[in-house]
Amino acid sequence: MIPTFFGTTLLVFMILQSVPSGPFEQAVLQIKMSKMYSAEAQTMAASSTDDKGGMELSDEVLEKLRMQFGLDKSVWTRYFIWLGLAKKEIKYKEAEIDVPFRETIKVLGQGEYVPVSLQRWVLAYEEENGDITLLASQSGTDFKWKTEEYGILPNAYEIEEWNETNWTIKKRLNSNKVALIITKRQGVLNGHLGESTKHNEDVGTLIWERLHISAFLGITGFVLSYLICIPLGIIKALRHGSKFDVISSAIVFIGYSIPAYAFGLIMLLIFSTTTVFDAPILPSRGWRPEDWEQLTLIGQFIGQLKHAFLPTLCYVITSFATLTVLMKNSLMENLSQDYVRTAFAKGLSEKRVIIYHAVRNSLIPIATGIGGIIGIFLGGSYFIEKVFGIDGIGLLTFKAIGTRDYGIIMGFLVIGTLIRLIGNLISDLCYAVIDPRIRFK
Amino acid sequence: MKNSELSESIFQKRLKRFKSMKRGYYSLIILGVFYIISLLGPLWMNNKALVVRYENNYYFPAIMDFIDFIPGINYPLYEAKKFNQNINSIEVDFRLLDKQYEKENKGNFVIMPFYPYHPHEDLKDELDEEYDDINNNGIFDIGESFIDENGNGQWNENYPPTLPNGLSGRYLLGTDNTGRDVFTRLIDGYKISITFAIIVTTLSYIIGVIMGALLGFYAGKFDLFGVRLMEIFSAIPFLFIMMILASFMKPNIIILATLSVFLKGWIGITYFIRGEFYREKAKDYVSAAVSLGTTNWKVMFKHILPNALTPIITFAPFSIIGDIFTLVSLDFLGYGLRPPTSSWGNLLNQASENLDNWHLLIFPFIVLTLTIFMITFISEAVREAFDPRVYSRLK
Repeated sequence: MIPTFFGTTLLVFMILQSVPSGPFEQAVLQIKMSKMYSAEAQTMAASSTDDKGGMELSDEVLEKLRMQFGLDKSVWTRYFIWLGLAKKEIKYKEAEIDVPFRETIKVLGQGEYVPVSLQRWVLAYEEENGDITLLASQSGTDFKWKTEEYGILPNAYEIEEWNETNWTIKKRLNSNKVALIITKRQGVLNGHLGESTKHNEDVGTLIWERLHISAFLGITGFVLSYLICIPLGIIKALRHGSKFDVISSAIVFIGYSIPAYAFGLIMLLIFSTTTVFDAPILPSRGWRPEDWEQLTLIGQFIGQLKHAFLPTLCYVITSFATLTVLMKNSLMENLSQDYVRTAFAKGLSEKRVIIYHAVRNSLIPIATGIGGIIGIFLGGSYFIEKVFGIDGIGLLTFKAIGTRDYGIIMGFLVIGTLIRLIGNLISDLCYAVIDPRIRFK
Repeated sequence: MKNSELSESIFQKRLKRFKSMKRGYYSLIILGVFYIISLLGPLWMNNKALVVRYENNYYFPAIMDFIDFIPGINYPLYEAKKFNQNINSIEVDFRLLDKQYEKENKGNFVIMPFYPYHPHEDLKDELDEEYDDINNNGIFDIGESFIDENGNGQWNENYPPTLPNGLSGRYLLGTDNTGRDVFTRLIDGYKISITFAIIVTTLSYIIGVIMGALLGFYAGKFDLFGVRLMEIFSAIPFLFIMMILASFMKPNIIILATLSVFLKGWIGITYFIRGEFYREKAKDYVSAAVSLGTTNWKVMFKHILPNALTPIITFAPFSIIGDIFTLVSLDFLGYGLRPPTSSWGNLLNQASENLDNWHLLIFPFIVLTLTIFMITFISEAVREAFDPRVYSRLK
């Protein structure tokens, strides 16, 4: 599973990095557009026809942009940076030699008049032999900060004590300028899913905020479908060929022939528009009622139930047919086995034979599927979330594909793979519970 | 026992069993007939005339349109002025030409196809409320009869605010939001879906069988590598990657089919054939063939493959269903075939954006469900024919 994780992420990473019109191209386009607008405004104002190079960006700007998106490195390096095995440039500064500059370590918050941030001086000092030493001062604030924990940052020329620093030299630009960077291992393996380029937020936070929505729908749907399908499959197997079996088979067939989102749309048409009923019965969009905060506890419960009903139904539909048929066929096969004959011959009651012997064994193929199904359920479905306008992980990722938000796409992939890993673990555990021959030693 | 029964080959036996499964057999016939009808679409649902007679010359635009797919044959441009038609566009409008010739009554005539609309044709201009031009002055006069599309009792020049949904009787099943006829698009969409599914399934089977045979037969490091590769491919979320790849190219049916085969189609078949080859390889008949000096290639594809092939034939209908779902889902999400190509998913997507257009949801839904339903029946019959499993039950 672990090699698969690396293989999968590498493959998707390579595909993402090699397809055109990614974040870099979009940024270039955006700059060009803004340039065009400002150029238009200028020509309108001064009606000058001084058009130097038109919309083309200078090499310098392009180079900086490339660096910002990490494109100055090879794809492999970028992949390792994303993983957290290689160091990532988290800060970049072009500093003049022998001139100290302020580095903002973190923003503390809004002070009395202006935002206060913790800063320090950094100095690139050139020695006689041409080597450059990097030094940093103690950190401090410009204004007094509430906690008194931080001192006031003195003027650069009053500082006497210079320390070592975590800045490193990237390259010497010219005689009096040097490019400095801070590098840090910050990747998936260190628990950072990266940044979203569109939301300007940490991907982990974005996914975490929505995880409970997708997980709620997924787990409810998962539990419900097992609660419905296993008994149904058992009854169908026991009454094979009866009227009940034929009718429920027809329903199962229909369920199999309908994609969940189409089913969801039909349900929306029936229950959330005025086409069938005079007034919409269920809400058509969203995860919770809009006035959630004002509702009483019972109101919240009813509101949530109304909103979650149709999506959950769709989740059940996705696996309804397969699970039921699997359960039925598996039980039928077991019922024709010799050990069932033996159990009957022993004089056990039919109930006992079926429940303790046959059903238990026929649950094994169902248990193997649990892992995959959990993956589907927890990962959120873009179809269902799109149809019902639920802002879960699925919809987030679906939108990210449209806007080429690579951070979210890769983050979703990681989360999805992790969930599948957990799912496999669970199905192994279920396996052991059902099948006494399997023991973990 | 009769002699004919004895000489029955296993294939004939299977065919007989398949035919005995009535629903599956008839489903196959119905779907097949519909597929042929949909392939002949340009001849019976088209905005191009079947036959035009103009000044003793005969033209066959619909047939030209039909054979357009043959390389080297291009649909010629029929200029409006060549047919003495006075309209704004360069290309002739055969439906108007039909009316015009009828009115002129000069011996020219146009024979339109049975359903005179094309799936890609924008009918927005014709969505205006039609009126009968009794005095032939080209404008609407009070007193002339008209079709009241929006039911306000007045003739409106512009098309009605809601799309015709089929109940108004103008177009069989109404039009979509770009003014294209839904009925023709459903038929055309059927053609495209089935074609896509057949291409994907065939290619997947060819690649899967070859890959599986090689992996299973040669085994060793090659097999190890192949299995890792399959694990990786089966771990990537398929639709997800399809969407990413489709978002920057202009996907047509060939591109989508290739991607679909490459990313998903081959894996299941390869796994299965590989397993079968592992099992069959150890049997005596293979050793016999090898010891007789048969080439590896011949052992693989002449001796082992026929024994491994039967079960995967029963998978084929499921594979077809999966492929149809893939195409519809991609189109639904907006990353599939680009308009104006007909697709069911695109209609569903339009419906999801505005549920007032219920006809864009119900009709594709019915067609899709019926198709899948019938393929499920076929799969049932195929399984019965190839893999008859009898469940015995005690008690």
